Amino acid sequence: MKSIQNYKLTVNNWCLVQKKIAITALVPPELIFACRGEPFDVNNIIPGSKKYPRNKLCAWTAIWQEMLSKREIDIDFLIVVAGGDCHNALVDGQKVAMSGIPTHFFFYPFDGDPDYLESQLYKLSDFLGNVGSPEKPGQIRELKKLGQKIDKKRADGKISAGDAFRIMISFSDLMGDLDKFKKVISSTEERKIDMGNRVALIGVPPIFHDFHDVAQALGLAVVFDELPFEFIRHSGNDIPGIARDYCNYTFARPLDFRIKFLQEELEKRKVDGVIHYTQFACHHMLEDEIMRLKLDYPMLTIQGDLPGNTPEQIKLRLEAFRELLERS
Amino acid sequence: MIGLDVGSTTAKKVSIEDGEIKYKITGTHNWKDLVTGIGGNEIISTGYFRNSVPHRASVTEITAAIYGVRHYFPDADVIVDIGGQDTKIIDVKKNNFTINDKCSAGTGAFLEFVANYFKIELKEMGSFHSRAKRIPAINNTCGVFALSEMISQLVAGYTREEVIAGMHYAFARRISFMIPEAQKLVLIGGTVKNKGMLSALENILQKEVLVPDEPQIVNALGALKYYC
Repeated sequence: MKSIQNYKLTVNNWCLVQKKIAITALVPPELIFACRGEPFDVNNIIPGSKKYPRNKLCAWTAIWQEMLSKREIDIDFLIVVAGGDCHNALVDGQKVAMSGIPTHFFFYPFDGDPDYLESQLYKLSDFLGNVGSPEKPGQIRELKKLGQKIDKKRADGKISAGDAFRIMISFSDLMGDLDKFKKVISSTEERKIDMGNRVALIGVPPIFHDFHDVAQALGLAVVFDELPFEFIRHSGNDIPGIARDYCNYTFARPLDFRIKFLQEELEKRKVDGVIHYTQFACHHMLEDEIMRLKLDYPMLTIQGDLPGNTPEQIKLRLEAFRELLERS
Repeated sequence: MIGLDVGSTTAKKVSIEDGEIKYKITGTHNWKDLVTGIGGNEIISTGYFRNSVPHRASVTEITAAIYGVRHYFPDADVIVDIGGQDTKIIDVKKNNFTINDKCSAGTGAFLEFVANYFKIELKEMGSFHSRAKRIPAINNTCGVFALSEMISQLVAGYTREEVIAGMHYAFARRISFMIPEAQKLVLIGGTVKNKGMLSALENILQKEVLVPDEPQIVNALGALKYYC
């Protein structure tokens, strides 16, 4: 069997042709575009998937693993976030690598060391064929400013939570095409939103494709999405700059760092309550009791497993949570 | 005006006439029998099917439980509603709730499996429990594996009564893990009519557990009280 290292050696001469680069979690898209790659976040197709993976813990990783290994997603290379994401991804990423897709394993520093992250970014740049379009990070920075405006308008009740979420979550790969993505952002419709109860959604994003719209219809306006907010808040014009900013990616850092950041954001956004989404068989489930202890807000914990519509049992919890907030 | 609780296994109707609580209970799919001659405008609904039946207003079982229990125990601080398909833990003082519907081991369905296995009625389980001389340890937290363990205990020589008592303890232990510290703990739902399960839970928690006279109708009553 070929080693992962061997796969890496096969990919260094492709840099003149744009290749589709799958990512399993946040990998600075600035660097992928700068290396003339077209990023593709494999998670973005999972909420709409009807796949029942054969061997699973967390459905997110199990589904992309199976689809990539069976070549049901058309990609050229894979970057697995192996440090700062989960061990399921680390193992499922190796399964994909063994199926023959050239794969690179990327590690965020737990202690936020920018020098370590810089060395990781240089290794990634080597894997991707090195920087060929140095202007791309600057263009992405401008798009992220638009993303931050969308986020603010959503919190101000001018854009629906569902529309804002769909834009913000797409900042992990910017749809692989900066011009196309800019047009999509520009087409976002503004309208007055009945805000009702202001809630923050923390944890991994829900695996249900209609979650934000369902919550809105049940009187819960999501004014903060933890992970998508990370997608729009980091940037950098070159590798040292990207390293200095992305080393504060909260999901890769210790819990106290992440919680302090959350406390500030939740206060800023004047939330009435917090929804903690957890995924079945995901290590983030273990964080729930700490979140409940440290975040001083009414909190609803929900758990999802397979993708699809928001299940009725979750709707019951959302409706009961709205009633709870109205009693508070 | 009536409160109508259409849950996963039973439907309950409550009205208050001259200050007296009147109620009727039937199977979920016979709920129409409860509302003959009553217009939707006179119904406050709750339960899983709350939005599938005609209603003037609807409210979730969590809020209905709070209002219903308040009628019997105004200072209850934790409510445990053990339904056929899920268990809801409501921390009234902290305004918080959790619902277990992923694991059958803490729901009425678990005890129904046991009763079906022994070909006895659910309501007989309490008297079987009271005749047990020993309590076998059933350690599995998974409902399906607990049933396998139950059969192993029968093979090992425990009586039907003792194994049923052991299953009540396994069930009660599972529920106890979900219950926060409480001064006044109230149990509601059809399952809590089972005296064996109740005594197992009191033994595990080492405290008295309060149960309304008719624990199955509390949510229907609460829906009515919530609106009126």
